[in-house]
Amino acid sequence: MTDKIRAKARELLESGQVSCFIGYEEGTRGRVRPAFVYDPQDADRLIWDERCTHNLAVYLHQFQRPPRRGEEPPRVGILLKPCDSRSLNVLFQEEQIERERVYVVGLTCQGVKVNGQPEERCLRCSERVPLVYDLVLGSVPKVVGREDYADVVRLEGLPPGERLAFWMKEFDRCIRCYACRQACPACYCFECVAEQLDPQWMGIAIDVPQKQFFHVMRAYHLAGRCSGCNACEDACPMGIPLSLLNRKIAREVETMFGYKAGQDAVTVPPLATFKKEEALPL
Amino acid sequence: MTTDFEPQIIGFLCRWCSYPGADLAGTSRITYPPFMRVIRVPCSGRVDPLFVLKAFQDGADGVMVLGCHPGDCHYLEGNYHARRRYALMHRLLEYVGVDKDRLLVDWVSAAEGRHFAEVTTEFTAQVRELGPWGGKRIDG
Amino acid sequence: MKVTTRDDVTAWLDGLSERFTLIAPRAVEEQVLYRPVAGSSEIAFDFSRTDLPVKEYFLPATHVLLSIERGEEGVSVEEPSLDGEQVVFGLRPCDARALRVLDALFLEEEPVDPYYAERRERTALIGLACREMGEECFCTSLGLAPDDASDVDLMLTELADGYAVQVVTEKGERILGDLTLEEVEGTPPKPAVREKTPILEPEAWPQHFEHVYWVRVADRCLSCRLCTYVCPTCRCFDVRDYETPNGDIERLRAWDSCMAEGYRRIAGGHNPRPTKAQRLRNRFYCKFCYYPRDFGPVACVGCGRCISQCPVNVDVVEVLEGVAAL
Repeated sequence: MTDKIRAKARELLESGQVSCFIGYEEGTRGRVRPAFVYDPQDADRLIWDERCTHNLAVYLHQFQRPPRRGEEPPRVGILLKPCDSRSLNVLFQEEQIERERVYVVGLTCQGVKVNGQPEERCLRCSERVPLVYDLVLGSVPKVVGREDYADVVRLEGLPPGERLAFWMKEFDRCIRCYACRQACPACYCFECVAEQLDPQWMGIAIDVPQKQFFHVMRAYHLAGRCSGCNACEDACPMGIPLSLLNRKIAREVETMFGYKAGQDAVTVPPLATFKKEEALPL
Repeated sequence: MTTDFEPQIIGFLCRWCSYPGADLAGTSRITYPPFMRVIRVPCSGRVDPLFVLKAFQDGADGVMVLGCHPGDCHYLEGNYHARRRYALMHRLLEYVGVDKDRLLVDWVSAAEGRHFAEVTTEFTAQVRELGPWGGKRIDG
Repeated sequence: MKVTTRDDVTAWLDGLSERFTLIAPRAVEEQVLYRPVAGSSEIAFDFSRTDLPVKEYFLPATHVLLSIERGEEGVSVEEPSLDGEQVVFGLRPCDARALRVLDALFLEEEPVDPYYAERRERTALIGLACREMGEECFCTSLGLAPDDASDVDLMLTELADGYAVQVVTEKGERILGDLTLEEVEGTPPKPAVREKTPILEPEAWPQHFEHVYWVRVADRCLSCRLCTYVCPTCRCFDVRDYETPNGDIERLRAWDSCMAEGYRRIAGGHNPRPTKAQRLRNRFYCKFCYYPRDFGPVACVGCGRCISQCPVNVDVVEVLEGVAAL
């Protein structure tokens, strides 16, 4: 598959269809990292294997700002796994980037690994084919998982005091570096509420109440928008189980509104719309 | 828990229905506990969950969001959005260990002075029962 | 060399934990962090490098500089100070050198930072030499050594059945107390080192400032800031006043990061470093060019934490090699 990716990237760059192709390349010390290829001759830097965990859709944020007058808006090619493609759909739904500016090479996915261990979310994943693409590569995998939210349910089952203690312990470890937010394709606000100085919602203190505030608000802001790509948890230097928080919201959104994030590029997300008659637990 | 502690309750009342409802309770001389501080907003749909969390962070023991009855919103749709938001917020707060009974979302019309007083009285008693909250930290 | 047994060291540490706040590497979930410990049983003796540096005990992530209380008698201003004294055990030479790097700014430049100075004054440092350089370490490229004892008060080196103990300063002598030391033949084992990375001298950096190399490296940077938070020498902070729920005012100092988009935004809205390429370039220049030029030491000790933690593999060693080859 790597050869096909390289060939396509080379073709896109040579023909001028895109000015940059975003994929993965070999990094240092046996790691894989995002690659930005501008020259068709560099297309051989691109690789694809099970270490490619990053969600590249996050790099499309820089196309939010409109180009200068008279400038042709840049087009990019991008390599997306199925979960990443759902993040791209969210960006399309929210009109953060125009469909014509992105050439998507979608990849079917067998799951990715971190340090040789399969990521837990991949074992649960039931979507192995990208949901938006201009070209799809790879064969459909036979093994498909099922999302049962077992860990979320387990945490829900704990008595409230224990749940509070669990989250406070996790937030205590947080250093409020915002790596989770920066790695997230759905977090594209120019000025995050957590850093706003006028008014100051969360202040500058790196203490448990402010961190709790930040994480709860970020999880809430991702309601109906989080694709479960786990970029946040992978980026966190302190190993905080953010997916437990984000998937709880995803589960509630699914239960209450029958909605999963990023299934297509046009549906209005549930929190941006309403039904006149609906029974919600309030 | 202690019944003699004075809870700090923040109420977000919408300008068209619940705030006049509260006014009506006052002019009708209906008594209710004095611990709620009112913040008037144009519509319950204006109440960002951020406000609710900030209120808890800054010392509130309970938060109320009162709006027009669904279907009667002055801005037509605001309270439908609020309804969805707070259904989700309740679940999220409960999940991170904040008692969801500390957040009340209800509908009070401009003519329902008595209902407003009832809702406030009940909620205050509930929050008293739950005890002080005010930005609980793990180190006490 | 002077040696002591494992049991003697643990008993000594237990004694220290009663008289001082003992800060040592402790296992927290799946990481090892410097944390206050109640006794030697909580210490993770077998670790290569902690996941966060020790700087939080000298430059806390958040602390109250002063608090203004309104009471019946009027207004009073209080400056909370450190409670008691601290002893840090298990400090690796790189982290100890990092404190010297911070000293060059906080202690040797006027005005002296009193909060940092107080913590530095009231903390004793017990170093623990590395057995070998880690996968991501490159301290030797910066002129350090994994067993360098120059920045600690006491240096311990692991032996097969105990530790070699080197007293470096008077403060170290004082906290040694009654730890029994035996004089034996020989010298502490030398740690295994790695090949050095070429690092350009500060004067050679300005010529590469406009090079497109920085834009290419920064393409994948997420501006996530975690490199600055896990770095033992990064020290930028923000200071703001807040009102507490009971009406007092607190002046808080908290870590800030030059990698944040709004870090350099000034009143009026102008931002000299709006792009992540500019911020990434600035970070490297700050460490390897500006800091040594203005304060003396290079602001990097080769601990490799940024390499381990960067989610997109911005590898400082790779960048240094890249810059040297430009």
